[in-house]
Amino acid sequence: MAEDYAGVIIGLEIHLQLATKAKLFCECPSDYRNAEINTQICPICTSQPGSKPMSLNKTAVKNLLKLVIALNGKLDPGAPIAVQRKHYFYPDLPSNYQRTSKPIAVKGKLGKIGIWELHIEEDPGRYDLKTGKVDYNRSGVPLVETVTAPDFRSPEEAREFLDELQAITNYLGNIRSEPGSMKVDANISFKGGKRVEVKNINSFKGVYTALKYEIVRQKNMFASGIAVEQETRHYDEGQGVTTGMRKKETAEDYRYIPDPDELPLVITKELIEEAKKEMPELPRAKVERFVKSYKIREDSAWVVCGELELANLFEKLAKEIDPQKLAFWISGPLKKQLNYRTLFFKESGLRESDIKTLSSKFIAGEITDKVMEQKLIEMLNAQASGKHFELKLEEVIKISDSVELEKIVKQAIASNPKVVEDFKAGNDKSLNFLAGQIMKQTKGRADAQAVMQLIRKLVQ
Amino acid sequence: MATGFTKNRLEKILSGSLSASENVEQHLSAIDKNEKNIRAFIDIFADDARKKAKEIDAKIKGRTKVGKLAGLTIAVKSNICISGKRATCASKVLENYVAPYNATVIERILAEDAIIIGAANMDEFAAGSDCTNSAFYPTHNPLDHERVPGGSSGGSAAAVSAGFADLALGSDTGGSIRCPASFCGIVGMKSTYGTVSRYGLIDMGMSLDQIGPFACDSSGANLLLSAISGKDKFDQSTYASAEAGSGAHADISKFTIGIPKEFFAGADPEVAKAVKDSIKKLEAKGAKVKEISLPAVKYAVPIYYLTMCAEFSSAMQKYDGLRYGFPANVNQNLVLAVSEAREKSFGKEVKRRVLLGTYITMKEQVDAWYTKAIDARKALSHEFDSAFKQCDVLIGPTMPTLPWKIGEKSNDPLQMYLSDILTVSANLAQIPAASIPCGMSGKLSIGLQIHANKLQEAKIFAIMKALEE
Repeated sequence: MAEDYAGVIIGLEIHLQLATKAKLFCECPSDYRNAEINTQICPICTSQPGSKPMSLNKTAVKNLLKLVIALNGKLDPGAPIAVQRKHYFYPDLPSNYQRTSKPIAVKGKLGKIGIWELHIEEDPGRYDLKTGKVDYNRSGVPLVETVTAPDFRSPEEAREFLDELQAITNYLGNIRSEPGSMKVDANISFKGGKRVEVKNINSFKGVYTALKYEIVRQKNMFASGIAVEQETRHYDEGQGVTTGMRKKETAEDYRYIPDPDELPLVITKELIEEAKKEMPELPRAKVERFVKSYKIREDSAWVVCGELELANLFEKLAKEIDPQKLAFWISGPLKKQLNYRTLFFKESGLRESDIKTLSSKFIAGEITDKVMEQKLIEMLNAQASGKHFELKLEEVIKISDSVELEKIVKQAIASNPKVVEDFKAGNDKSLNFLAGQIMKQTKGRADAQAVMQLIRKLVQ
Repeated sequence: MATGFTKNRLEKILSGSLSASENVEQHLSAIDKNEKNIRAFIDIFADDARKKAKEIDAKIKGRTKVGKLAGLTIAVKSNICISGKRATCASKVLENYVAPYNATVIERILAEDAIIIGAANMDEFAAGSDCTNSAFYPTHNPLDHERVPGGSSGGSAAAVSAGFADLALGSDTGGSIRCPASFCGIVGMKSTYGTVSRYGLIDMGMSLDQIGPFACDSSGANLLLSAISGKDKFDQSTYASAEAGSGAHADISKFTIGIPKEFFAGADPEVAKAVKDSIKKLEAKGAKVKEISLPAVKYAVPIYYLTMCAEFSSAMQKYDGLRYGFPANVNQNLVLAVSEAREKSFGKEVKRRVLLGTYITMKEQVDAWYTKAIDARKALSHEFDSAFKQCDVLIGPTMPTLPWKIGEKSNDPLQMYLSDILTVSANLAQIPAASIPCGMSGKLSIGLQIHANKLQEAKIFAIMKALEE
């Protein structure tokens, strides 16, 4: 049953780490994931007394501009990136102010969702509440914050938007994709009600769960006659619930001032042109084109185009394999296995030639879906454990010879007289056991439907 | 005042008639004798200085090329980071803070073979105009021990004036180099904002701060400025042109000297007379003199204090008792813990400025105060721009009064702020200005201040040279 989302209003603030070699204001490496605690730091990103920020990392700026362009944001050539100081006390913030720019672009749009603004800022360090230690390796890593209009009317709409955003950043290669490189704050309210902000959601999947939970929570409060208050809540990823953090009676005062040390960087026409030149065909356009020229379904097109490498693979193979069946296969069985392992196709290590062989044999009906799935799993497992894997299908080609199949079925019936008796006594399910035995014996090479038909025919 | 003092000493060192080690020993023995009366230093680096002197002497003996400051001793204000040394800012907050890196100016003077003799006393975090706001002890004026040396770079100025160092580095946010230079009877210069890298200078007002030289004479100041100025990728405000501050070639007989009447408005008659007598000397050398008016100068003090305090409160935010200062008691709400630690760690004047700066940048206040100050600053800068269309330099007193007695103004912050009236404009307009002695009143020295347009330090040096002749 579809949920009732009448009156739901959702807006998102999405923080993504921009893909760069160095941090935003210094030359320290920005990839902190495998580094020992506090080894990628300098006087600047630890804000030692007397240190000053260097000028904004140019790669970060370019990657930001690409996202702005992809989200159809209005860029104003000649406008400066004005860095401000946002003051608040927290142990992960070495200067107790965060450098964050004024909006770089406003009034964007992605599908039917409005984008209020995008700006650039620095990530703070990582504060471990248990040990009381702060790791400043992350301090100064460049972030882009995208603020959407409150245009979402359901968690599904938010999920769709985030899927597309993820696809866009995958195409642009401008955002870090490792776990922990994104953070979403979601604002949820019911029409006429108070706004609740859910902070620190660390995955796109988490956004969907958090929204679903929060909507039910607020609905339950309405139902019990309790008013929803304006507050900030924390999302607990493990439990999939939101918990109260603090009541927000008045807005915090961050005492924003222009950073006197950071000279405004002008977004020149040239800089915009350069970013535009590097823009690939974006997911939305690709989906439209695939639907039109390959006549594939729109929903599978979105899955196929969700990752650039997958879309490229599709286009390549579609020259030789029926595109509709191929799209169905990619968005179905292949994506299922990848999702199960939370892998991008690019990271899966799957070889294009293997994919081609496997999908074409399956689509041509030469191997069964059981075998196809089994081989996919074997390939992925071999990749994950670093083992070499050779895709051999000769021995698993579907048994299409009816004489051979009949022989196998007869043999099974003969060696399981008890099962046949059970069936004759009225236990229809006992035939499933027989079919299972045959599938096992043939290692899935037999077509399950054909086997069942044969058993029914021969058992009588 | 002896001219060519620094250059003579440098020549002696280079020729071998005075070794760097002998130079260091002379200064150390002066320190030994008089530092107890002056208290110019927070730390004295006798061992390091002797070691460095030996290295330089070896270089000179071995005829290896040496830097342009070879063997000269330099006192460094305690808000400039020297790797491995305390950078205390004369504050309890940083009493035990050892800088993990060198400020760019330190890199540069060391590369020019200077010898750092000690970390000089100052007003806490440079908040003060007379060097009595040090959390450790006040510095005394070497010309009259009962009086203040000026501030906030009082220790640096006193060190040069007392013969503890050949040269000194200070920092100037609203007059912190020029005021003590004037009171201690030496030359001090704040060059154009952006000529000297601020990397490693502990922040006060970031759009105003500038590191600069102290010396016995103008050529010494010129020498040190040329060593420290130039582009630095670690300070975005630095100009690309190298050695922006050097040169004294300009011909003053072609100069028009502007005399803004506002510079003399509240000045002590004795001070005003000494300055006017010096202007007559310049006139005699062929310079034209022109009376002008800079009406915005009367607002310079409020514009300055609003701008500086706003920036200062932001810069001081990091001293939270978790990382620096008296350790916060963390077994309570974070805001309370931080407030308590800050209450205990900061001195009175620092607290006053942090509170003022916080207040005027609050959401409800920022437009009424800070934003207005930014606009007024632009108007003031514009007035100076116009003045420099008709004049090469602007001359007046550095300080409106003679140095006061230690403690005299400590309980009257407003009187203290008003003493900055003649120096803050150069920082607000980001133009160069220097102070040079121009007369005596008993034991006390009177300072004359010269302003020029941005990057025209050469004109200021030319005037100073003419006054020294």
